[in-house]
Amino acid sequence: MKLSSQPPRLVVKTLGVTFVTTALLLAVTFVVVIVSVGDQVRAGVAANLEASQRMFAAIESRERRERQAQAATVAENPTLKAAIDTYAAEYAAESRSADNGVREQLVNTMTGELAKVAARIEVDAVVVVDVDQRALAAAGPLAERWPLGRSVALVPAASGSDAFDGVVHVDQEAFSIVSVPLVLGDGSRIGALNLATSLDRRYAQRLGELARANTVIMANGLVVASTLDRDLERHIESLAPVLSKGEGTIELNKERHAFRRLVQVGDTSFYALASIDDSARGAITAMSRTLLWIGIGAMAFALLASIWLANLLAKPIGRLSTSLGAMALSRQFGARLPLTGSSRELDALTATFNDLMASVSAAEAQTEAAYMGAIRALATALDARDPYTAGHSERVSVLSVSIGRVLKLSADDLEVVRLGALLHDIGKIGVPDEVLRKPTALTVEEVDVIKLHPALGARILRAVPFLSRHIPIVELHHERPDGRGYPHGLQGDDIPLAARIVHVADAYDAITSARAYRKARSSPEALSELWRCSGTEFHAEIVGALTTALSFAPAAEPALPEAMSA
Amino acid sequence: MAVVGAPPGQREDTASVTGHVKLTRTRGLPLSSNIYQPRAISDRGGPSPEIKSVVVYLKRATFRGTLPVAKTAIRQEREEFVPRVAAITRGSTVEFPNADPIFHNVFSFSGAATFDLGRFPKGQSRSTVFPKAGLVKVYCHIHSHMSASILVLDHPYFTIPDLDGSFTLPGVPPGIHTVVGWHERVGERSATIDVQPGRTTSLELVLPVEDIAK
Repeated sequence: MKLSSQPPRLVVKTLGVTFVTTALLLAVTFVVVIVSVGDQVRAGVAANLEASQRMFAAIESRERRERQAQAATVAENPTLKAAIDTYAAEYAAESRSADNGVREQLVNTMTGELAKVAARIEVDAVVVVDVDQRALAAAGPLAERWPLGRSVALVPAASGSDAFDGVVHVDQEAFSIVSVPLVLGDGSRIGALNLATSLDRRYAQRLGELARANTVIMANGLVVASTLDRDLERHIESLAPVLSKGEGTIELNKERHAFRRLVQVGDTSFYALASIDDSARGAITAMSRTLLWIGIGAMAFALLASIWLANLLAKPIGRLSTSLGAMALSRQFGARLPLTGSSRELDALTATFNDLMASVSAAEAQTEAAYMGAIRALATALDARDPYTAGHSERVSVLSVSIGRVLKLSADDLEVVRLGALLHDIGKIGVPDEVLRKPTALTVEEVDVIKLHPALGARILRAVPFLSRHIPIVELHHERPDGRGYPHGLQGDDIPLAARIVHVADAYDAITSARAYRKARSSPEALSELWRCSGTEFHAEIVGALTTALSFAPAAEPALPEAMSA
Repeated sequence: MAVVGAPPGQREDTASVTGHVKLTRTRGLPLSSNIYQPRAISDRGGPSPEIKSVVVYLKRATFRGTLPVAKTAIRQEREEFVPRVAAITRGSTVEFPNADPIFHNVFSFSGAATFDLGRFPKGQSRSTVFPKAGLVKVYCHIHSHMSASILVLDHPYFTIPDLDGSFTLPGVPPGIHTVVGWHERVGERSATIDVQPGRTTSLELVLPVEDIAK
């Protein structure tokens, strides 16, 4: 049943199908999960930034109130007020007093008062400005950044802004300002006290820690300070129009960032930036690891399941195939294959096969009966050429089968023996009647003619393919164990068993039949004659078997019953 | 209060300068917001008239002879200096009587007069002499919102207008003069006049005063 190019095994196909299905399912799941994780992370980052914005507003609003409280207290310092008001009077009065020493002392007085304040308040600079925003005196860590006597514009916050009162740009730097006016009893405003916080990298970092994000402070499209490096700051400046929308996403450093404006004070905006990709990476890594394990589990399960499925299908087919093989080998086509009971389809196949084989068997039996009839007719016609040999082939056939049974031949072999025996003398077709029917002793030439019949019979049978197994019987049924037989003079075990059987049966029937030149002899006489010649002319075990067979059915001679002719 | 009367030793060939000071209201810059309102007294006795914060005087005028001196007073009343503006001749004395039931202080950082008169209770008074011309700003060290201005001049040609804004400067020597209307917050507005002996010259001064008395 093996073919040169074999199709794949069933298990390979089921494995393939399950693997592809599982892999597709996993791939789709992976994509869906990754996309949904990405969306969730983006939403999460945006929500974080919003929370940061609220927190920033809350913190800055509280700080502003604290600063204002502090500033308001400082603003009631009489020395400071007297100094700034006197300074304004001295300054405005042209050179009335023209006493620069007085001005200097007034500035020193103010600076001294501010220094005391700056030491207690956590701000970068405490500055008093006059009504024209001119800085008169400053104190604090960054006081020297404020050019005294120069007017510095305060960009005021929109009303309602919670973070600062405004922003001041001094040279390259920016300061957030909490400002309280200095007012005298008549309600006149003589200046203001500004608490300035530098909007520098340190501030951006503090803000970034609170917001847990990168922060960027921008004024007029330029970065004032940020937690980013210089290159990214340049890049951010090019994105200023996008940032001005207030919230959204930008591409920065090859990663998507969500941004949100925390607060806008005048021309200055505070932004928080958080990388979406950075946050997503962790979540996706964790998710991928989980999916990997699920995938490995699913693949292993698919492997087991497909092997099981393949076995489920292949095993009954294998059983059926084995049964068929055994049937083919034994040629027991009449036997019915057992139903596997594994699936309806396979049972239907088995049943159909059984039906087919039943009809094939019936047809075969018919054919066999037909050709058996034909052969028997041929043999009978042969025997009929000589009245003395009438029924000879039939009797030899029956006797040979009886011997074969005693020797426990298989049913198959017995069939060969039966038919072979029936045809064993077919070669006598080529022996002329005058030789065959000659009532007297034959001449040497005539005997030689007779001796040609096994070879002739073999030649005739070679033309019929299904009689090939019977040729040795026809050809060798006159060979003798001592090698003095014909046509080949084979010895002992070289002679096939079937030929030996037919040889003995032929001789027995010849002895027990009458001839033109002698009478028929009895069965015991024939047996004793055979025993006498056993070992030389006949094989002893065949003669023994014949003896046994005749003892079981002594009545079977000389003409055997018709039972065998069926 | 206009405290300076007709100056003695005035020459015959002098003239009077009369005029009117008009205060116009301007919209000032809005004050920056401050949730912590500055300390203020709720029961203040009404605003002092802004016209009393104006001094009209001749700029760079000279006076020959002995400069008359006077004694004037600035009260401390309801945590305010009243009046808030005074004008005096050099060498005059100003008294600061305390009319409040609390301690007050008077001090100044001004170049024309730097002093600290210490702290004193109700009923007491401190005084000081102003020997140098100039603007002297006076404060109370206890109450940071209190302030007053004292204009110390080298001549007697000054006055504080009446409530209706009219003023008269008598005994002005003839010649070209610059008349100044000075307000302690707004600064000065001036007009040039030619004073003829025996004739009265009139002029009007307009001072844009912020609406600060609210």
